Amino acid sequence: MCFVQALLPPCGGGIFQNIECGENSASEKLRFVNFHRGFNAVGFGRCRKSLLRPITAKEDRESIISDDGNGVPKYKGISVNKLNCVKNEPDSSFTNRPAAFSGKNLSDLSTNGNSKNILWHECPIQKLDRQKLLQQKGCVIWITGLSGSGKSTIACALSRSLHSRGKLTYILDGDNIRHGLNRDLGFKAEDRSENIRRIGEVAKLLADAGIICITSLISPYQKDRDACRALLPKGDFIEVFLDVPLAVCEARDPKGLYKLARAGMIKGFTGIDDPYEPPCSSEIVLKQQQQKGSDCMSPNNAAEKVISYLEKNGYLRA
Amino acid sequence: MSSHSPLIYHHTNTIRFIHPPNFLPGKTIETVSMATLSNATNIFWQDCQLGKPERQKLLNQKGCVVWITGLSGSGKSTLACSLSSELHSRGKLSYILDGDNLRHGLNKDLGFKAEDRTENIRRTGEVAKLFADAGLICVASLISPYRRDRDTCRAMLPDSNFIEVYMNMPLSLCEARDPKGLYKLARAGKIKGFTGIDDPYEPPLNCEIEIKEDSGVCPTPYVMAGKVVSYLEEKGYLEC
Repeated sequence: MCFVQALLPPCGGGIFQNIECGENSASEKLRFVNFHRGFNAVGFGRCRKSLLRPITAKEDRESIISDDGNGVPKYKGISVNKLNCVKNEPDSSFTNRPAAFSGKNLSDLSTNGNSKNILWHECPIQKLDRQKLLQQKGCVIWITGLSGSGKSTIACALSRSLHSRGKLTYILDGDNIRHGLNRDLGFKAEDRSENIRRIGEVAKLLADAGIICITSLISPYQKDRDACRALLPKGDFIEVFLDVPLAVCEARDPKGLYKLARAGMIKGFTGIDDPYEPPCSSEIVLKQQQQKGSDCMSPNNAAEKVISYLEKNGYLRA
Repeated sequence: MSSHSPLIYHHTNTIRFIHPPNFLPGKTIETVSMATLSNATNIFWQDCQLGKPERQKLLNQKGCVVWITGLSGSGKSTLACSLSSELHSRGKLSYILDGDNLRHGLNKDLGFKAEDRTENIRRTGEVAKLFADAGLICVASLISPYRRDRDTCRAMLPDSNFIEVYMNMPLSLCEARDPKGLYKLARAGKIKGFTGIDDPYEPPLNCEIEIKEDSGVCPTPYVMAGKVVSYLEEKGYLEC
């Protein structure tokens, strides 16, 4: 049996070493970090001085570990997955701990929810690396509000504005996701909760990838929004409350749904016969005026307000 | 490889079209219509002018899904990590969707019975599709033992953006590695329905890349990653 020591990294969540990356034409792209020689990256299987020492299956350890002639150990197809306890934060910092693979360490495998015997797999490339590549910090901008309050409109304006600054964003729109991932869900209370839970989990993955993820869904219940907030590191969940009066939303009625709801043809429609629980402490509140036609905050102004917040809080740089 | 065509849904007596933007790449769709999907009514496709082509230009790469399939212990996660490192060193943005990791979050409500495995794969495929649409090279690493489920995921991605990588390692090798001790448990009858022992693995019939032993020796992660990177380069995914 072979024990492997995980080394304390110089920066949390990753193992870095200056290696020769060579020229990279992709680095010429506008606003992207140039991949110069010496950029912190991990050459998997090449310079392994600060990487985990290889873990081998007992039977053929000798044949698997070889030297490439330069004193750099190479290994053959052996997983370097580290055993880990059950965590929902993939990028929590490493600690010095032994990792071993054998039938004797089954207690290290986790049972999470309905899945038994699952293992958290770490990888050399972590969130910080991706953020450095993108020159931004991944986060979730959670836009909540009544139907017709302008969530999708503002999401698009925000996305375009950030793109013009060279930032990578992605919109998870409640309606669009219901065409794919959440096509098996309806609108009863538990389905709404599950819809929001899954979108929260996907948003978390996108943020971990370094993307500024913009979600746009009514998400009427505080409890569900809070559950999504809890998935992300503190500060990375940015709730934007579109505080638009029901009368304004209903006057817009972009999808004709308020009309149907008033006619009783849709049941449980948020704002009509299902509650919307406004957030008490959103990071950003976008307030619209009472009367239709009076000065409303334009989508671009709204987007700029969000962008100021992002800039001030360091999300538009690595 | 199936490509999508505009979908038609019936809503009471009327037929409506929906045109998701990815079905007509590069075009701005002006109209949205109501649709009735199997479980949800009154769903609209929300169009936004900023699409995949713009994101790809920003990243200087093309979004796609690299779907790594194979027995437990065949080296899927290892390849996923080494591939991700290689791509990163070339300035390309990738993200790994690991079957086990997803079962800690999005798929924490799913077990290992057949329908849960199918749903696990379906959800992973849908998420991979979103990542590919975001412009990333999404590396999915799951046993995904049933051909039908993998083909369902393939069908989700347009334009051959689904790249299936088959880790064709012999059961004996995987079992000898047994990195999580699961084969031992399965042989002892403590895990039921374990792929390769008492549940089938259906190898792909038309995968894009097959990784196997070379004269009885398993290639290094670096070599395996190199094979995938060469494929991506050849097919134009590493540029825009």
